[in-house]
Amino acid sequence: MTVGGFGGMTKAQLLDLARDERIRGRSRMSKQELIDALEEAESARHGRTRSGDRPASATPPPISIPGISSEDRAEARHRRARLQDRLRAYVDKDEHCPWRSIEGHPCGLPVVRGTDRCGLHGDGRIADVAFPLTGELGFAAWPTLWRHLTLATYDVDAFGLDPVVAEMAWHTLNGLFYDYFRVEVDGIEHVQTEGPSVLVANHGGAALPYDAAMMSLAVMNEAAVPRRVRVVGTEIFNMLPVVSHLYRKVGAAYAARDDAREILRRGHVLGVFPEGERGFMKPVWEAYRVGRLGRGGFVEIAEEAGAPIVPVAIVGSEEVHPAITTSKMLARLVRLIFPEQRVEEIAIALNPVPLPIRWRIRFLPPILPSERSGGLDALDQLERSEDVRRAIQDALDDILATRRTAF
Amino acid sequence: MFAVDDVEPRVTFDAQFKLLDLDRLALARFVLEVEPDVVVHLQSVHRTAEEGRRTEAEDRIVGALALFGAIDRIDSVTSVIVKSDTAIYGANPRNPSVLSEETRPRGKASRFQRDLSEMERFVAGLRESHPDTAFTVLRFAPIFGPRVDNPISRYLTLPVVPTLMGFDPRLQFTDERDAVSVLEHTLDHPVPGTFNVAGDGQMYLSRILRLGRRAPQPLPGRLFDTAIRTLARADLKVPDHVTGLLKHGRVVDTTRMREELGFIPLHTCRQTVLGAYHPSETVR
Repeated sequence: MTVGGFGGMTKAQLLDLARDERIRGRSRMSKQELIDALEEAESARHGRTRSGDRPASATPPPISIPGISSEDRAEARHRRARLQDRLRAYVDKDEHCPWRSIEGHPCGLPVVRGTDRCGLHGDGRIADVAFPLTGELGFAAWPTLWRHLTLATYDVDAFGLDPVVAEMAWHTLNGLFYDYFRVEVDGIEHVQTEGPSVLVANHGGAALPYDAAMMSLAVMNEAAVPRRVRVVGTEIFNMLPVVSHLYRKVGAAYAARDDAREILRRGHVLGVFPEGERGFMKPVWEAYRVGRLGRGGFVEIAEEAGAPIVPVAIVGSEEVHPAITTSKMLARLVRLIFPEQRVEEIAIALNPVPLPIRWRIRFLPPILPSERSGGLDALDQLERSEDVRRAIQDALDDILATRRTAF
Repeated sequence: MFAVDDVEPRVTFDAQFKLLDLDRLALARFVLEVEPDVVVHLQSVHRTAEEGRRTEAEDRIVGALALFGAIDRIDSVTSVIVKSDTAIYGANPRNPSVLSEETRPRGKASRFQRDLSEMERFVAGLRESHPDTAFTVLRFAPIFGPRVDNPISRYLTLPVVPTLMGFDPRLQFTDERDAVSVLEHTLDHPVPGTFNVAGDGQMYLSRILRLGRRAPQPLPGRLFDTAIRTLARADLKVPDHVTGLLKHGRVVDTTRMREELGFIPLHTCRQTVLGAYHPSETVR
């Protein structure tokens, strides 16, 4: 495609090209804006190849997954490198934390820029802002992290967030985020850089809460400040072996009102999926139809804390494990093992392995808390909850209309 | 100053000591006789309840009933301090992650938990009929330290500690020294109300055992129960309320203790654990 050859195309063709170029916000652009953006992307690419900044991948990929092209892999590498550059700025590698355990083990981590302690032994900012403790987000940091993990040199927060385990999970899940699901993120500027805020998203997935992980990673990887999203989940997380402590260690909490309030009181970002189990278990033909957002409790809690609500539209979660049917028998079996569970149905997916779906996550403009004294009454709350639902649904429809395939 | 217990004191102190059966009316008669200004009730629920030994329900709570009955009759009492326990919240997967004084516990209650809530209900009743008396209920997180001897400290200091496979509870402690200071503080500044008492911070059981250089032995549910029963036979009873804690953990909010009661504990959870396991290596 030569520069300037876009004029004769239809808008749909331009959109397709824009998709290949990963142009952000393309669905909202006019035809002329699309042409301009495409031309810019093209000239930028020519510039890059000439300077050798981003060479086309010459080595064949070790494992080829159908649907993931070499461009995707190059893009993932590029995004990881960009993230790494941004995150390195949080620590000062020339200074080391003076902390020492009573057994005499030195800390050995670099200090957080502007302070004299590392992330683990400092002021606890690590509970809100996720930055790599060593400055490097990769396997190279794992021996250091492992040492701190096994020596128990640090404390966890009240919800049980373990910064070391969370960092290992972050690094591991980035493989899904960048390479497998190739998550595209829009409107990340709507997430507040500090203070409490509530992210409300549509729920899907049928097997594992991939959407919670991908939404958290979107904020950690793309936002100006890599904040932790404290997602709240149902009590089944508290009952399952292994999950019961792992989900807390990576920064999640239990979906009780008290927990949500406490998270906001501490000024963290709260992530909620108010559709709950019904949204999670819905069959594939109901995909991306956002159901009622619970009883709208998140509105009340956000209002109390004076926190803005950011609606989040997630496309991709529903197709990773397309649920074809639900089983009451399996649910009965689960109730037999976990008698306290209220699970009614269990979704059954076609595939045991997650499909390589191309995800899109769009953060929508925040809904600010009302300034009215006395807050919102029950009806206003329901109305606001419906506004949020509609905003998410509209954004989902918009994303779905512009994408060609799910892969 | 009078001190009452049902065992001989192991240290000398500056008070008149009286050996009494704590769960009989003798205690109430003694209180009526001395007409105290301040009552500190440290064994509000009989020891057997916390230890998980079998006793009649009446025996476990009758001491508190008798004592509170006596307090009800004396007008001279200005303040009453009652030691309760955070076990009153139970340990349940549906409990919020951080429990405040107002949190209503969920799920089936252990025996100790039921006794504690019953005892606290007596205090609430007294509070209504005696508005001039300051009733302070202190809910202590498990007390831990090198000298203390309770079910949790005995469990944690086993050389090999059986743990429930797949579960790593968050635990919180009151340092034994802070447990004494909070009582002293409350005596000097009585504030009516109910307060959670715990040191700063919380730790996962796995990290506690690591700091104590104890070997955890993770066992699946059934085997864990068997191990606990075996320990009981070896005179090391791990009661129900502790086994619940070892599955789901418990963390309480101490904002009220700091702001209303005005007590700041000196030891964090981590310092408590290190101090309990390595008393000679840590500054005491």
